[in-house]
Amino acid sequence: MLHHGVGTLAFLAELSQALAVSLDLETTLAETVDRVLGFMQAEAASLFLIETDGSRSVLQCHICAGPIDVRGLRLALGQGVVGRAVAENAIQLVTDAAHDPRVWRAADETHAFDTRSLVCAPLATAAGPIGALEIINRRDGRPFTAADAELLGVIAAPAALAINNARMARDLVQQQRLKREFDLARRLQRSLLPRRRRDGFPIVAVNRPAHEVSGDFYDYFDLPDGRIGFVVGDVSGKGMDAALLMVRAASLLRWLGMESPAPADWLARANRELCLTAQDGRFVCALVGCCDADATRVRFAGAGFPPVLVWRDGTFTEYAAGGPPLGIAADMTFAEMDIALDQGTLYAYSDGATDVRAADGRPIGTAGIRELIARHAAAAPEARLRALLAELRHMRLVDDTTLLTIEAAHGGQPERVLERRIRAAPEELRGLRVALRGALDGLGVEPELRDRLVLAIDEACANIIRHGYGPDGDGHIELRLTREGNLLSFELCDQAPCADPQRLRPRPLGECRSGGFGLALIDAVMDDWQLEPAPGGCGNRLTLRKRIACIDDEDSDGS
Amino acid sequence: MTNHANTVETEQCAGHVLVRLGGEVDLSWSQDVRRAVLAALQGGLPVGVDLAAVDYIDSSGIAALVEGLQGARSRGVAFALIAVSAQVRAVLELARLDRVFTLAATTDEAFAGP
Repeated sequence: MLHHGVGTLAFLAELSQALAVSLDLETTLAETVDRVLGFMQAEAASLFLIETDGSRSVLQCHICAGPIDVRGLRLALGQGVVGRAVAENAIQLVTDAAHDPRVWRAADETHAFDTRSLVCAPLATAAGPIGALEIINRRDGRPFTAADAELLGVIAAPAALAINNARMARDLVQQQRLKREFDLARRLQRSLLPRRRRDGFPIVAVNRPAHEVSGDFYDYFDLPDGRIGFVVGDVSGKGMDAALLMVRAASLLRWLGMESPAPADWLARANRELCLTAQDGRFVCALVGCCDADATRVRFAGAGFPPVLVWRDGTFTEYAAGGPPLGIAADMTFAEMDIALDQGTLYAYSDGATDVRAADGRPIGTAGIRELIARHAAAAPEARLRALLAELRHMRLVDDTTLLTIEAAHGGQPERVLERRIRAAPEELRGLRVALRGALDGLGVEPELRDRLVLAIDEACANIIRHGYGPDGDGHIELRLTREGNLLSFELCDQAPCADPQRLRPRPLGECRSGGFGLALIDAVMDDWQLEPAPGGCGNRLTLRKRIACIDDEDSDGS
Repeated sequence: MTNHANTVETEQCAGHVLVRLGGEVDLSWSQDVRRAVLAALQGGLPVGVDLAAVDYIDSSGIAALVEGLQGARSRGVAFALIAVSAQVRAVLELARLDRVFTLAATTDEAFAGP
């Protein structure tokens, strides 16, 4: 029990209030220590807080009042009475300092101060003590009592709370500032990546950071002789410093490549330059090379980069040429390779792609990447890379991941996004909707429009099943989704008896009649549609088109 | 997207009948929905169709609901769509039927009043 009466309560109330409304914690705490000094009739008082110094935690005197200034004094946890109060999270009462083994005497000797009696209370929080409040020597010369010790414990509680709150507020502000900085760095990094090119350009690439910022990058650019240079890079480490090195490595490799695109020489020069400025054991893995505009031959060299894969006629060939990562030793030479693509596709990927974890937690490795590539080989390059990335993200991405493909463009052909053949039966529609939804997601179509497009195609198929084939009909429906720029074309082919387009009239929407508004829904969703006899004379071909606002490839798959 | 099983359940409640739908209502089973909705009207009590667990609905599903509404009107009983999921609401809006139906969060809200 406390025996200090009304004066104590008034003091505590006043102190708690001052701490609760404190905006400037430093000032308030200094005031608190002064007030405690006066109220407890002590000669000296001090407040220690746990500071983390590298990996070690120490107690540092933050504020003190009394004849000597011990601010900055550092104690190990457990050292002296203060250290013990924190280590044991218990109030320490020393009535006879001269003969108490808990007292660390060196402090007195340094400061020519005679400690006779002291009390130290931990500043306790739910997560453990964060420091301690200490009072030394009663002014009346008598030792501190158990009641004094208890009182100091009560005073320590609101002080601990106030310090803790102030720290949390400060951490929150810092986190928000860091997040803004990361966002800025991320946008800056994105702006360094080249824009997607659609003019029959043979190279497509995607990049997905595992964290806020990326250590991976890719680049491609036209060379003066009409060929195309490309780079895929992977900077060791993660976080902001890796991101900054990435920015430097990306610009260095671009300029060296534009100047002299012979891959081996290109890497050797980049290596020398990076060795001059590399620090902290950081290095850069990269693949550089060039190809002709119609992607018949590719010349490349790697620096600590995974081998490239070429998929030709249903089989993989792996090619590796190059040397060690850049930025480690200056006098390195690199081997290069010149291969014919023969209508195949070259895949370059950073090791983030093979580090992706499968369901069992193991990296999927080269075999995993090969399997994914083979599975999506039929899709057009952009759709394929998006699908690969989506599959990789569906598993667990542990590192930044970059994929780049080189293949001959198919002369301005629309990109095939999805091809699906179903039996013309109502129970087949659900599967078709799932496939279509996935394909539209892969294109980055926003969900509301995606659902409308799925509805419209579902209605069209339902009409083919109900009215085209009829109840006794038996046949199939083929859906082909293609994309040319921002124009999506959905083609539905059937072998049902030829329909008369003149008889297909949508009912007005909003009319309260059951049935007949499938066509109206299609009208409402699609820009236009057209029904014609299928080529070959049997069946119908329904083509539905929708121009979508903008598929932004870089941002469509979110983060 | 959440995946609910295709279900249609009819529940006799105090003063009304509730038809609870779930899953993707499409051509493959919208006739079951239609029958359930029309059967619910037989008792002459107000009918609510709970659409909270409907992930997808096509025009044949909407048609079943329209038919239900028409049947209710001809009998002079209340008919309401309850807890309409976002997916269903989007289709109702596209078909401009969102104002034709009574939409309510709960049956209490739908059938309260004089």
